[in-house]
Amino acid sequence: MTEAADIPAAPRRRRKLNVSLAIGLVLTLSFLGIAFVSLFHLPGDPNMPDVRNRLLPFGTPGHLFGTDVLGRDILSQLMMGARTSIMVGVGGASLSLLLGSVLGLWAASAGRVTDETIMRTADILLSIPGIVTALVLAATFGSGAGTTIVALTAFFTPSFVRVIRSAAISVLVEDFVTAARLYGRGRLFILARHVLPNIAGVMIVQFTLYFAAAILVEAGLSYLGVGVNRPSISWGLMLSEAQQQVGVSSPLAMWPGLAIVLVVLGLNLLGDGLRDVMDPKLARRGA
Amino acid sequence: MSEQAIDVRDLVVRAGGLRAVRGVSFAIPPGGRMGLVGESGSGKTLTALSLMGLLPAGLGATGRILHDGADLLTLSDRRFSNRRGRTLSMIFQDPLSALNPVQRVGEQIASVIRRHTGAGRQAAMAQVVDLAAQMKLPRPEEIVRAYPHQLSGGQQQRLMIAMALSCYPQLIIADEPTTALDVTVQREVLRLLSAAVDERGSALLMITHDLPVVAAMCETVAVMYGGTIVEIGPVAEVFRDPRHPYTRGLLDSQPDIDRIAPDGSSRLESIPGMVPPLHALPKGCAFRPRCAFATELCERMPPLEGGARKAACWHPVSGPRGAAP
Amino acid sequence: MIRYILRRLAFFFGALIVASILIFTMIRVAGGNVAAVVLGKDASAEAIEALVVEYGLDRPLPVQYFDWIGGMLRGDLGQSFRTGESVAGLVVSRLPVSVPLALSGLLLAMLIALPLGIYAARNIGKPSGAAVALFSQIGIAVPVFWAGVLMSLLFGVKLGWLPTGGWIPWSVDPVAAIRSLVLPVVSLSVVLAAILSRYVRTAVLDVMNQDYVRTARAVGMTRTEALIQVGLRNAALPIVTVLGLQVAELIGGTVIIETVFSLPGLARMILANVAAREVIVVQSTVMLIIVFVMVLNLIVDLAYGFLDPRIRTAS
Repeated sequence: MTEAADIPAAPRRRRKLNVSLAIGLVLTLSFLGIAFVSLFHLPGDPNMPDVRNRLLPFGTPGHLFGTDVLGRDILSQLMMGARTSIMVGVGGASLSLLLGSVLGLWAASAGRVTDETIMRTADILLSIPGIVTALVLAATFGSGAGTTIVALTAFFTPSFVRVIRSAAISVLVEDFVTAARLYGRGRLFILARHVLPNIAGVMIVQFTLYFAAAILVEAGLSYLGVGVNRPSISWGLMLSEAQQQVGVSSPLAMWPGLAIVLVVLGLNLLGDGLRDVMDPKLARRGA
Repeated sequence: MSEQAIDVRDLVVRAGGLRAVRGVSFAIPPGGRMGLVGESGSGKTLTALSLMGLLPAGLGATGRILHDGADLLTLSDRRFSNRRGRTLSMIFQDPLSALNPVQRVGEQIASVIRRHTGAGRQAAMAQVVDLAAQMKLPRPEEIVRAYPHQLSGGQQQRLMIAMALSCYPQLIIADEPTTALDVTVQREVLRLLSAAVDERGSALLMITHDLPVVAAMCETVAVMYGGTIVEIGPVAEVFRDPRHPYTRGLLDSQPDIDRIAPDGSSRLESIPGMVPPLHALPKGCAFRPRCAFATELCERMPPLEGGARKAACWHPVSGPRGAAP
Repeated sequence: MIRYILRRLAFFFGALIVASILIFTMIRVAGGNVAAVVLGKDASAEAIEALVVEYGLDRPLPVQYFDWIGGMLRGDLGQSFRTGESVAGLVVSRLPVSVPLALSGLLLAMLIALPLGIYAARNIGKPSGAAVALFSQIGIAVPVFWAGVLMSLLFGVKLGWLPTGGWIPWSVDPVAAIRSLVLPVVSLSVVLAAILSRYVRTAVLDVMNQDYVRTARAVGMTRTEALIQVGLRNAALPIVTVLGLQVAELIGGTVIIETVFSLPGLARMILANVAAREVIVVQSTVMLIIVFVMVLNLIVDLAYGFLDPRIRTAS
């Protein structure tokens, strides 16, 4: 729009943003909190069969969420699943962020040939579906949390490279960077001192959104049997077991699904809220 | 009903709880030309968009805008749409972003003609070629088949003018029509705009911060500050003898090529302070915090008073320019 | 335009070569001795040696790579170690399930997402628009397998309208085949549509805030006319790009949905072979999927060039 300064922002938008941020924060913090508690205390043993207490319903004393077909405590399994989600999600998103930042900053600040090479490679990797990478890795190395994290990293890194490169370029063309260059500052200094602080917001948002995506992919892979296996527990694995052993109508198929939806929704809302708060354009309009 | 090409009465534009335009009134007679000047944020673009009924979402206009026998603010979107491009039309600042990038420019103009005159495809296209020729575009038959990105800024703006004028509107609003163009083509585009407006007998509302353009093209001028008109009157009188301290400051901060001293001793005046943001407008006269003549009286809103020329100031300055302290 | 097409084609073939080398390396080099992997921990050294010789696994890797690629180009995708079945035959027998599932899933997703996204964009700031945005936000968070489970619970178990799983081949009963595809397609497309509709909404919002839409309004178009005649034509560009990026999502969803509804498609065949460590089958089938994705991406790129005059008219 021309003369944006002439047109004040409608104040209604800002109130909505905070709702998204607040709900996201509450859901995410509860999720993190539950996983944290699971490190110290679980109501039961998530892997210990108990044939006398099979398929207890929701609300049974001692087994608040009931038990599964082998009599294992559901609540404990859900809490363990939260832990797995965080481990795999944070693992995949952090590795992607690290690799993506190095490659993205390198592409943004290096010459044309390096830039083109990195970006075209990213394009190629981006067109290989993540599930395919995961299947190949599972076929060669066997499945498990480690393999899943590697597959997620291979799948997500190209997106991080793209986003971080374009954010970095938008900073690198700013006048203050040109000025720093004229002072004789080196590339690493400029990247660390000027670019990184200015793209930190983008990186945080990207991390949050891909944390959520990683949880979805991990659940999918575990559901297929090429992700996390017992004795580790994943929500996807729980759902798969429930479907195979007692059929879809069981409440056992509801809990893990609901857990995934709430957590992913929370992280996505948090990411969107953070983006809106940090978006310099919106911030300027709000002032 | 009003005989004017446009008659605006007490226009207010609200954004949330704030008033971005705070009671603007003016009229332009058929074929008349008025300049609307002011800094960014003064409300001049919002005023123009109100006349077109194209305010961004979240902003609302109240008051009366009389044009072509109707109060535009009471029309439904469908009936208002029928007038846009036909009885009143607008030219925007940046022609490249104002033209549809995925449609040939000729087709864009032809669709306007077909919409409002019911002309057939070929007849409309022939008119477009004529219009392009009138706009002194080289090889008009070819140029109308181009996409916007294939043309220069000057060519784009000339076609934009052709589109806005294609249906002989009673009123043309031009919002900074040459700001985005190279200095070398600005003059030519303005000359073509002026000629085309003359030929159609349209009235012109010229929004700009370029005072010499107003002096060259317009009969009257309205100066906006803080969402209100602070001074309005015939261009020659207002520019020679401004009454409002803001108008005077604005004129004094124009570089005047005739007065540049060869020894480099000439000074460019500037108005101290900054335009206050909308939510921090002072009580009373909006210019008060920057005004050298402000007194307690200025905490009350001064009325826009006078005859043919009016100024909203409790302490109007007078005397030809240059004499001020 | 010709330069654009040539560049895209060059990228397409380059990408195929790079992807094939990546997959080959990952399976053959990183995975260690293929024969040992296939036969498992308890296999005797003789058995491993026999398999190595039979499949020429002792030849230099580049020779094996070109052998593999050459075979692929001739339509020979290799054989299963255990059963000796040809991979090509396995794949072809599964396509009648997977291809209709994936393509109609994508099509239905677009049919849902386009109107929904446009509606959300037009009603931004109103409760109706917020409701659609909320639907998308929740839909994105729903894992596709859970969507499948809920669908089969509602329409299969509770209402009994459609089968909750299994497959009757087209040749036996086309109607039954379609019936067993309905729930998988709907589950897949609902989740995809949630994601897509958000992009559509953003694209439409972006476009409707452009100056040229204001111009269209300034010369007499109503809001709706400006949206349809000017907005959508421009919004098509980002939407087409996003469609290309969604193909990877589509493949993942298809693999999972085939499992949820026990459909004998390509994905289930791959999964069975992953479990059996049939690396040749996995390697070739995965490469085929990548070819499919890249062809779709190429089509999307060419469509983009055709839709955008700034690219089409560039010399």
